[in-house]
Amino acid sequence: MKQKKWLLLLSVFVFICSAWAGEVKFDFDAYHTPEALNKALKKFAAANSKNAVIHKIALSPGGREVNLIEIGPEVKKKKKLLPAVFVAANMEGTVPISSEAAIYLIKAILEKPEVSKDKTWYVLPVGNPDAAAGYFKKPLVKDGRSDRPHNDDMDDQTDEDGCDDLDKNGFITQMRVKDPQGKWMPVPGEPRLMKKADWSKGEKGIYKLYSEGIDNDGDGKYNEDGPGGVNIGINFPHLFKYFSKDGGTWAGSEDESYNLIKFINERKEIAMVFTFGDSNFCKTPPRGGRKGSADFSKIKIPKRFGKWLNVDTERTYTMKEVKDIAKRFVPEGMEVTESMIASFFGLGAVVNPLAADLKFYNELAEKHKKFLKKNKLDGKRLDTAKAKDGSFELWAYYHLVLPSFSMDFWTAPELKKEKKKGDEITAEKLEKMDKDEFLALGEEKIAAFLKDAGVPKNFNAKKLMELVKSGVMTPEKMAGFMKNMPKPKSKEGADENEKSLLAFSDKELQGKGFVDWKPFNHPTLGKVEIGGFVPYADNTPPPAKIKELLAGQVPWVFNLVEAIPTVRIAKAKVKSLGGGLYRVEAWIANTAYLPIPTAMGDRNKRNAPIVVSLSGSNFKIIEGKKRTPISKLGSFGVKEVKWLLQAEQPVTVKITADSPQVRQVVKTIKLGGSQ
Amino acid sequence: MRNETASPAYRGPAGRNRRAKEKVLILQKELPGINMKFLIIALTVLLLCLSANTAGFKTHKVSLPLSFDYYYTFDMVVDALKQLHKTYPKLTELEIVGKSEEGRAIYCMTVNNPKTGRELDKPGIFVDGNIHGNEIQGGEVSLYLLQTLLGKYGVNKEITKLVDKNCFYIVPVLNPDGRYHFLEDAGPSNNRGLRRPHDDDGDGLLDEDFPEDLDGDGNICRMRKKDPNGRFKTDPEDPRLMIPVKPGEKGEWTRLGSEGIDNDGDGRINEDSEGYVDPNRNWGYNWMPDYVQRGAGDYPFSGVGLKAMARYIRKRTNICLYWSFHNTGGMYLRGPATKAEGEYPRSDVEVYDFLGEQTERVTPGYRYIVLWKDLYETYGDSLGWMVKVNGAFGFVAELFMSETETFKTIKETKEAGKPGEEEEGHRFGGDPASQREKLKFNDHLTQGELFKPWKPFKHPTYGNIEIGGWTRLSRRISHPFMLNDLVHRNASVVIFSAKHTPEVSLEIFDIKKTGQNLYRVRTRLINSKAVPSMSQQAARDKIYPKDMLTVSGKGIKVAAGGRLQDTYRDVVSYKEFRPEIQFLSVPGFSKVEHQFLIAAAEGAQVTIKYSSRHAGKIVKTIRLGGK
Repeated sequence: MKQKKWLLLLSVFVFICSAWAGEVKFDFDAYHTPEALNKALKKFAAANSKNAVIHKIALSPGGREVNLIEIGPEVKKKKKLLPAVFVAANMEGTVPISSEAAIYLIKAILEKPEVSKDKTWYVLPVGNPDAAAGYFKKPLVKDGRSDRPHNDDMDDQTDEDGCDDLDKNGFITQMRVKDPQGKWMPVPGEPRLMKKADWSKGEKGIYKLYSEGIDNDGDGKYNEDGPGGVNIGINFPHLFKYFSKDGGTWAGSEDESYNLIKFINERKEIAMVFTFGDSNFCKTPPRGGRKGSADFSKIKIPKRFGKWLNVDTERTYTMKEVKDIAKRFVPEGMEVTESMIASFFGLGAVVNPLAADLKFYNELAEKHKKFLKKNKLDGKRLDTAKAKDGSFELWAYYHLVLPSFSMDFWTAPELKKEKKKGDEITAEKLEKMDKDEFLALGEEKIAAFLKDAGVPKNFNAKKLMELVKSGVMTPEKMAGFMKNMPKPKSKEGADENEKSLLAFSDKELQGKGFVDWKPFNHPTLGKVEIGGFVPYADNTPPPAKIKELLAGQVPWVFNLVEAIPTVRIAKAKVKSLGGGLYRVEAWIANTAYLPIPTAMGDRNKRNAPIVVSLSGSNFKIIEGKKRTPISKLGSFGVKEVKWLLQAEQPVTVKITADSPQVRQVVKTIKLGGSQ
Repeated sequence: MRNETASPAYRGPAGRNRRAKEKVLILQKELPGINMKFLIIALTVLLLCLSANTAGFKTHKVSLPLSFDYYYTFDMVVDALKQLHKTYPKLTELEIVGKSEEGRAIYCMTVNNPKTGRELDKPGIFVDGNIHGNEIQGGEVSLYLLQTLLGKYGVNKEITKLVDKNCFYIVPVLNPDGRYHFLEDAGPSNNRGLRRPHDDDGDGLLDEDFPEDLDGDGNICRMRKKDPNGRFKTDPEDPRLMIPVKPGEKGEWTRLGSEGIDNDGDGRINEDSEGYVDPNRNWGYNWMPDYVQRGAGDYPFSGVGLKAMARYIRKRTNICLYWSFHNTGGMYLRGPATKAEGEYPRSDVEVYDFLGEQTERVTPGYRYIVLWKDLYETYGDSLGWMVKVNGAFGFVAELFMSETETFKTIKETKEAGKPGEEEEGHRFGGDPASQREKLKFNDHLTQGELFKPWKPFKHPTYGNIEIGGWTRLSRRISHPFMLNDLVHRNASVVIFSAKHTPEVSLEIFDIKKTGQNLYRVRTRLINSKAVPSMSQQAARDKIYPKDMLTVSGKGIKVAAGGRLQDTYRDVVSYKEFRPEIQFLSVPGFSKVEHQFLIAAAEGAQVTIKYSSRHAGKIVKTIRLGGK
């Protein structure tokens, strides 16, 4: 009786606690400053002190904290046994809705204990708080740079010539100035939009375009050295761009990025990474088609090594061939690795997603489409931004070699185009075609398709058909190119995205997304007109839409984490061979959709292998290893591990399989005695 | 000018002998009072210590002037730095840049004469050594350079001038853990990298299978086993060596690699020792992950000491020259480190060639070459970061040539001829001929210190084997008797290049009244040395602001101003906006002229200021009109 009472009391207490946890007030009806987000984060942690904790990553140059929350059953433990998911949001600081999405996710995780019972979550709502604070400042200007001072124009002053809100409307827009050397003109039929004059059509530019402001430092340039330094979102090591204006001095030159890189690298249990921001790998896989990807099946040996290694530098070799050649030149016992070859011959880094990884990206994208349809968010919208060089999401895929999924949550709806005949070739159709089906379309149709796609004229249909015939080009590859090509301009020359955005502003925002051009007397430029799109109009929906957008999209995260590799010992078999000798076989299975590791991980070898080990006493290993590393397990893949064991007496042997990224599993077998 | 309060300067060898003699005298005086038995025991212990550490000389006490006939342990290097600082407090600063992975301090000694200006107003020269733990000579070169700069200051005119003009930042040991273990341990592996655990063999365990000094002789040598099917046989010319068997020949030996056992029971021996994160592949320029560049580490500047070093360097914006001392091969390397980066701008290459060719003369046998083209490609090295991100002119010195370990008459040398360039193995001493030669060198010049004769050993896995071969201090390190020559030449190389840091003077000429209230003023900036006030690459990539020439004064207005292209024909390219400030750089051995048209009343005072990150600051004042 007494026990029951206690239980009742306890459950009431738990109920109150959990109700209290849910009570951290955070409404998704407005955008929140980094300060407010930090406050909310701390409240969530305080209300869930058992399974949530805050990590302070860095202090930005503007004095803002970069905090992330850790949620899961192991928050108090230093050594984690469960896999983890890392979610970074608003790394560029210019996507307010992504921070809201991070909080939405945190709330959802805390409200659904089942999603964190077997994993740890790390969620960083604002990776670039200085820039994120910009959305709440007046005048409004979209700028991803932190508050670190930076001398953009390399003169004698720093941050001295930023934009100025000349028309005092609270927005930094554009100035157009009539100028005989101007290259811009209004779009015919839509004079609010500007386009570059096309001389081949007999057009002539009349305007020069500037961002709104004056020449504060009197050097003849406008707004060339505004406040701010580094866009944290592009300060990561993969394809980092040196000597850019806002990318930072080197990858990880900033505390916000360096400390984050360090934090993640110290947590090898992280098995999947999400980036909430501008790009969307859930919809479109990381782009390919970059030059300079290291092709390990066709290695050319540099001329300077030719004579020394006694090889033909004109032909190409496979990695295996090169390894064999290299083996003759290294001391005995030294292992020749791909990495060694790659660095010695300067083969360079992988810059395009590997085919095997694209397979899961594409398959998951199909599922994502259905998920959005179910949530009625599948309406055609403007293309999301491509992941930038040096971005967090690319780094997560190429260097952390983890499944890296980025998500954006809103772009303006795409304006309906006048319907074509319906038989035109699209990227989607191309993707499903094989070589013969494509060639069967005939030259005329292919030519029309090339024209529509905006392919330069010297690349004609005949040439393409030859390439496809020879196998150099495939319809699938073409679809990839098409998806990455800029949208062709409309007939009158307007940018299709701008047209759609303007239509959205007119229809849904009562025109508030665009400032009509109005004359202004500029101190140095004379008569100008100020107008253009309101900053953030392109990626930030009205606050009223936040909740619906997040509710319909953020939970996709929970579907994807289901695919995180999970290891089981599917079966373990013991066969007595007599004389105390036993053949033991165990099948180690990945019961999840994603492989261990990604193809990129197989190349990079960053992740520790799954180790299958035997423990117990009074047995001897005759064949096999005490610790067997398995470095690869495909999607739903199984691998067999075998041992020959000797035991004089009946004994129990424990088979364990684990790696930092998968939860440990154990199976016990018996040698001898009754089975 | 001699620093008056400084302690006695470098005395040269005579001074050192005197000290040694004093020590002997003290010992003799104390002798009678000591029990003979005790003395014998003490001497035996001392001898044992010495033999265990023949080149490290742990038992030596560090004193000034420093000795360069043995290698200093890490603690001795620190001691030497402290003594230098104590002796020359006005010229030096000794700072701890940061701590290594194992918590050892990384020291930087600054040599600057405050009487001739602030650090940042002088050209900075940054020197580091021993970034790779096993490449210890860099530490000695750094110490010798410090001793030369400090000891000869006020004594030698050239050195005095050099110290008064420049600011030196010298980090003798950038990888203190590496040096410590290299000289203090029996030498598990090579101690080249950072002490950051790494899973080399992909088994999920970190650094679990080091080599072992099985026979306890203080050296990790090699193991071999008698094996009629082995791929090696005894070298008929020297039975201590083995050579590969020819096709069809019977073998005699199987080589078993470094001394050690299979600690983790995976069937392999010594396959996962410390690290490997290469401290010279972990820097923030052109960093590439481990599968592209072995030793890269997890991310740029993951090494805690390196990260601290980077922070330290970023604050010293005056650094225009960089020297990094490594071994081995006898090379002075310049970048670029990869082909893809593209060649440096032409005018920068000219500077490198001027300095580089001289280095070849200072150290005969060393080659001045381009890293990616003539050696190999590297990503994330310190050179790239110093040159590309920080705008210095940088060299990597690969100290020591195995070819110098010879035992030949002049006639024999001539007959042997010069090793061919294509014979890359030779330069690193790997081929049988150079091994034989090195053994003779070992026998006759080091009295056998470099090679351990093969001795039987019972190995837990391999059974009866033999252990022997080259000792850890035999590889890539000059024998101490050659060290003095090495440190002197290489310090001289730094000194030569330091003489060529930018030296810019400002001349104001042709002041002329050209209108009622208009004056023409011409300026000439002359760089009398080889290194420009800003590298062409730094200017091209806009990594920091260019030099500035500003004209100011009360009541004056610079109406026009610009680059004077031709003095005689009066061709000027005027800068349209803000003519009172001109951005420029002064190339090596060259001049840059400007012309200003100044609206001012007669007698107005005009100040002309030149300021440069690498060439200091100059301010001159003139009066317009009249005298």
